[in-house]
Amino acid sequence: MGNKKTKLHYYPGCTLKEKTTNLDDTTYAVMDLLGYELIEPENWTCCGAEFPLTEEKIVGLAAPVRILRQVKLEGGNKVFTVCSFCFNVLKRANEAMVTDPLKHKRINAFLKDDITIDRVTGDKTTGFPEYNGDVSVLHLLEFIRDEVGYEKIRALIKRDLGKVKVVPYYGCRLLRPKGKIGIDKPDDPSIFEEFLENIGCEVIDFPFKQECCGSYLSLSMPDAASEASYNVLRSAKLNGADVLALSCPLCYYNLDRRQDRIKEKFPEFHEMPVLFFTQLLAWALGVDEEILGLDQHFCDPRSVLGIDKSGVEI
Amino acid sequence: MRIKLKFEENEKKFIDRVNELSGENVYSCYQCGNCSSGCPFVFEMDILPNQIIRLVQMGREEELIGSKALFLCASCFTCQSRCPKGINIANVAEAVRHLIEPKGKDYFGPQEIPAELADELPQQALVAVYRKFSK
Repeated sequence: MGNKKTKLHYYPGCTLKEKTTNLDDTTYAVMDLLGYELIEPENWTCCGAEFPLTEEKIVGLAAPVRILRQVKLEGGNKVFTVCSFCFNVLKRANEAMVTDPLKHKRINAFLKDDITIDRVTGDKTTGFPEYNGDVSVLHLLEFIRDEVGYEKIRALIKRDLGKVKVVPYYGCRLLRPKGKIGIDKPDDPSIFEEFLENIGCEVIDFPFKQECCGSYLSLSMPDAASEASYNVLRSAKLNGADVLALSCPLCYYNLDRRQDRIKEKFPEFHEMPVLFFTQLLAWALGVDEEILGLDQHFCDPRSVLGIDKSGVEI
Repeated sequence: MRIKLKFEENEKKFIDRVNELSGENVYSCYQCGNCSSGCPFVFEMDILPNQIIRLVQMGREEELIGSKALFLCASCFTCQSRCPKGINIANVAEAVRHLIEPKGKDYFGPQEIPAELADELPQQALVAVYRKFSK
């Protein structure tokens, strides 16, 4: 060890610093083991969670473009995320800056007059350069496949996950809209399966891997969202899975933290552990249990990882 | 039977505004229904996604007002990925929501969040739901 680490921009997003610190902590832990030093863009803000779908809401692009411009100003040419929502918004905002001259013009005109104030010296900076979409936005699954390589991951495995039957859950934001995301084929993806196989899981296929879990409707239409989440978890269980793996903090909220409300609506529902893909990777790479933040889960996933209730590995 | 072939002025304006805001062309839809068969929330909807498009094609703004279906869209883009004509139906739904929402009134605003939920909700859910359903 003691090797110099490669610096890499990482955009965590707001939920990871508050409600799903387990996803943030395990990302830092695994990237450290893979030889990367993560840099968060200075003064990052929320990405806006939703890519604006109508011309009228174009100002929603200001936040993601500002984040990307900051990465570029810090000398970065790529940024990765683990949250599917952030990935989707940043990737699409970046693409809009390349392919849509009107959006490029309007957003750059809006952001040109940004003022930043140095916290120490009080110096003001203004007159920012145009952002032209030249930072590549990657999801960690994509970064591992294309830049780290599965071979390197396999060589670093410390714990055997062989007995764990996992279903990969893509949800919507990792794959769609079709033609805009490009992490994998939206109708027949395999990147998550390959990742799980390479970290030593037994992968189980199931028909709901690309279905929506209910997303933000769990706030505005909770009953409809519960039904959508129930369908996903039920299908995973029927197909023989021990655990469902995902990458989105909102899917995690709907599929794990709301299991009590799913049970209220569907009394025959069986609890099902849910883990972030970074938690599975961290465990396989030998990261300590407390970093995994398993106490934050509604449905305890310890038995899946072969840990008994007192925290001892079985 | 008389069949009306010409749109009224306000109907034409509504269709043009939806196309302009969404960046889509609703006239290209030939009502195959792929969007409705893939949508994960049709079980709760009063009108189906393809019917939303049809009503826009016919300029029937008043029939879209009050439709629950417009507010059941989670922007999961399953419809878009299956549409043989490449229409982004979520964009159309967002444009229609924008045009029919009562001015200055939120469909779903901060006052709708129960206090006991405020602590557990992930930030991204709050940001996303307000982006979608409030002014």
